[in-house]
Amino acid sequence: MTKQSNGTMLRSERARILGYEPLDEGDWVTGLHPMDDLLRGERLPHIWCQGCGLGTALTTFIGALQWLEKNQDWDLDKVSAVSGIGCTGRIAGYVRLDSFHTTHGRAIPFATGLKLANPELKVVVLSGDGDIAGIGGNHFIHAARRNLDITVVCVNNFNYGMTGGQVGPTTPHEARAVTAQYGNFEYPFNLPYLAAASGASFVARWTVLHARQLEWTLRRALAHPGFSFVEVIAPCSTAYARWNREGRGLDEQNLGRRGLETMKYYQQVGRTVTDAHPKDVDIKFNAKGEITEIIEGEFLDEAKPDLKAAMDQRDEHAEKIWLAEKDAVDNRTEIPARKDHIQRAEVKLGGFGGQGIISAGRIIGVAAAIYDKLEACFTQSYGPEARGGAAGSQVVISSDPIHHPHPVEPTSMIILSQGAYTKYVPSLAPGGVLVIDDSLVELPDDHRTDIDTYGIPATKIAEEAGTSKAANTVMLGFWTAIVGVVSREAMRQAVAESVPAKTIELNLKVFDIGFEHGEKIKT
Amino acid sequence: MKNGKGQLTGEHFLLGDHACAEGAILAGCRFFAGYPITPATEIAERMSVRLPQSDGVYVQMEDELASMNAILGGSWAGVKSMTATSGPGFSLMMENLGLGIMLETPCVLVNVQRGGPSTGLPTLVGQQDMMQARWGSHGDYEIIALSPTSPQDLFDLTIRAFNLSEKYRTPVLVMTDAEVGHMTEKVVIPPVEEIEIIDRPQVHKGDVEPDHFRVYRDSVNGGNGYISPMVSAGEGYRIHVTGLTHDERGYPAMNAQANEWNVRRIIDKIQAHKDDIIEVEEQNLKDAEVVVVSYGISARTSLWPIQMARDEGIRVGYLRLITVWPFPEERIRSLAKKVKGIVVPEINMGQMIREVERCVAGQTQVLGVHRPGGDVLEPDQVLNAIRKAAGRSKRAKKKGKE
Ligand code: SF4
Repeated sequence: MTKQSNGTMLRSERARILGYEPLDEGDWVTGLHPMDDLLRGERLPHIWCQGCGLGTALTTFIGALQWLEKNQDWDLDKVSAVSGIGCTGRIAGYVRLDSFHTTHGRAIPFATGLKLANPELKVVVLSGDGDIAGIGGNHFIHAARRNLDITVVCVNNFNYGMTGGQVGPTTPHEARAVTAQYGNFEYPFNLPYLAAASGASFVARWTVLHARQLEWTLRRALAHPGFSFVEVIAPCSTAYARWNREGRGLDEQNLGRRGLETMKYYQQVGRTVTDAHPKDVDIKFNAKGEITEIIEGEFLDEAKPDLKAAMDQRDEHAEKIWLAEKDAVDNRTEIPARKDHIQRAEVKLGGFGGQGIISAGRIIGVAAAIYDKLEACFTQSYGPEARGGAAGSQVVISSDPIHHPHPVEPTSMIILSQGAYTKYVPSLAPGGVLVIDDSLVELPDDHRTDIDTYGIPATKIAEEAGTSKAANTVMLGFWTAIVGVVSREAMRQAVAESVPAKTIELNLKVFDIGFEHGEKIKT
Repeated sequence: MKNGKGQLTGEHFLLGDHACAEGAILAGCRFFAGYPITPATEIAERMSVRLPQSDGVYVQMEDELASMNAILGGSWAGVKSMTATSGPGFSLMMENLGLGIMLETPCVLVNVQRGGPSTGLPTLVGQQDMMQARWGSHGDYEIIALSPTSPQDLFDLTIRAFNLSEKYRTPVLVMTDAEVGHMTEKVVIPPVEEIEIIDRPQVHKGDVEPDHFRVYRDSVNGGNGYISPMVSAGEGYRIHVTGLTHDERGYPAMNAQANEWNVRRIIDKIQAHKDDIIEVEEQNLKDAEVVVVSYGISARTSLWPIQMARDEGIRVGYLRLITVWPFPEERIRSLAKKVKGIVVPEINMGQMIREVERCVAGQTQVLGVHRPGGDVLEPDQVLNAIRKAAGRSKRAKKKGKE
């Protein structure tokens, strides 16, 4: 074969092999390899070092896909490969599949989006141990927990290869790395155990020199419905194998040789124990951090509903709720819009949690905005103001656009607790209207004389009608009659659409009691 | 994705966050990935109820890093996708906002801003992430960000955000705030057929010879002006995309020339369409001696002091940035030549004012009205700045009524 000095074929040579002139310089496949269909030939040669285990990891993966295509009618157009960053992360760039090379550690969440948005896709994450168990560890355990139907292939080479061999979450204790030259003082993850404990439903491990077994396992992992995890032990000839010379002579300098020797070593210390409990498959190492045993096999293959199936079970229920809500809006009773001009009115509601202060404020807003066709801006108090069981909400109502969303100086107040009285009443505008539940609020001696105060035993009235919970509705009726910013009919409609269906009648009853009480007092 | 199912219409008294969710669903969003955070949680809550009703998928991720990535995945699966967050989560999303920009992925990220820095004021308003919105992810890029003033506006701008993101194949930010997100007002939702919905230009199976398909080349795929039609996963094109600097095939290309091609592409596609992207709202600019330039909740609350100042005889104009990024440079430049002063109210210690000053370039005075997070600006603060800009020394009167 005619080669250029940089090792790639001459353009004419490529054209001869391909039978057509490529569109781009790099746009070609050699047509010489049985895996060409699934390799981006134009991206070769790859960046991996001689003796690296990643080539085998890639070919076993492709082999498994080809088998699935042939024997299980897989449409490989529907397979997406997602990788993170690192040496293994480059796999996405070499497979001729839809392939996504994402950010460091984030391949799994990206894959989660792909799979959930289009469940037809078969999604495979291929990334390294640093990517999946280090920076992406949180994503890994959560995807396993959800039993999301994806396959995660984690190539474990015991260190960060791409960046030059730093210690990582899988580096054996006492092993060496460029950032652990005195020996690793941390302990490694047992990845199959982590996956299984997190909820994965298929878990396996092989070294790359068990290429056959690995390929067979990958077929099953890919076809498995639910979260499948395959750990692939691979030598990093450049970095890890330089610092850790298990089973080899110290004079080993040739990179390819070093990788091969390491690969052989991993195979030798490998022990196939199918059905081993994942908790028992720690990679064993001696006091020098040399790996002494790698248990391999398929450790878990469990049938349980995957995430999407579990989600879909809920659709019918969701639909029912939707139809009921839609019905309520579609059948809303229209009432004639207000014709009079309403000046900016600011209403403040205060009480304690559980009194319905928030829902009462919202009801005023609904009445004003939806039924009386005014402008209304409803807000509730958050943060420090809402601490200690206090509840506050406010509504600004006007015929004109509301620019400032909060009350600046409330024109009326609905107060249901002594605490709220103390807190809010000082800010009521002079000449403003205060309505209180006088079964709960006692006016002090120095009560403001520059405001109009009206009391109603709302809680008592509500209790007599059946439930103290409706005290807020009594107050709303009372306030509506006295302040008159929002129409009675609008308020009744708003109450009816806002309270639980079973309590509509009761709430309207106490609203009317409150309203009539207010009418009486006013006149 | 089936459109029409589970879409709300009519008049509703809606929380801002809920209006945002409804806008998303109407725009065609069928995938939401998020993580609970005040004051954006209600968007996630609403989506978790509404998406299963609309043939969509809601998922709560383990954090905001994952949420942002998941929506990129969702988008590449061909589904309009959104996430929503606030300050701390926004910081986490910056990493993969960059990936979204690099992969040219349509999606929408809503930031319901609260007071910062750090955990800051979870429940209270801030507009302190405006510069983070522009520059928060590393590297050079252009971003589109919109800023709403009310639940209705949040609804409308969420739809617009989706439209822009689909049209320009880029993540779009909705930079709202705790005030708008947590206020409840009337939202009018027109029937779906009356709403303009833009879907991404797309290449489907069989449209282009896969061997000749280029993920990032518009001329081959029939696109125009920097925007290549998108192809979803599973269409048979066997695409590759990467966060690395890449060429038009989406393949890594590790050199300065490729970086220039790549970076210019993602910048130019926004720059070249600024006229379409930038939207401002203007009032009384013709005769203005002072102009208030603001955005979001601060623009809205400024309308009251503007009215007060006009009542005092000051000719105040109003320029509201609906699109905050890209910044309407030319508009500000031309205004600067004509007015005595520009007032910039915002709930931060001075962020967008820097952009205003940059464009004004000393041609007129620029007065900021600033406060850190926690509350909206007081009308008097803005009124006094307007007076000062107009050269009136009169002290603020007692608080007026709107
Ligand atoms: S650094 Fe290690 S893992 Fe990376 S390609 Fe080289 S040998 Fe393989």
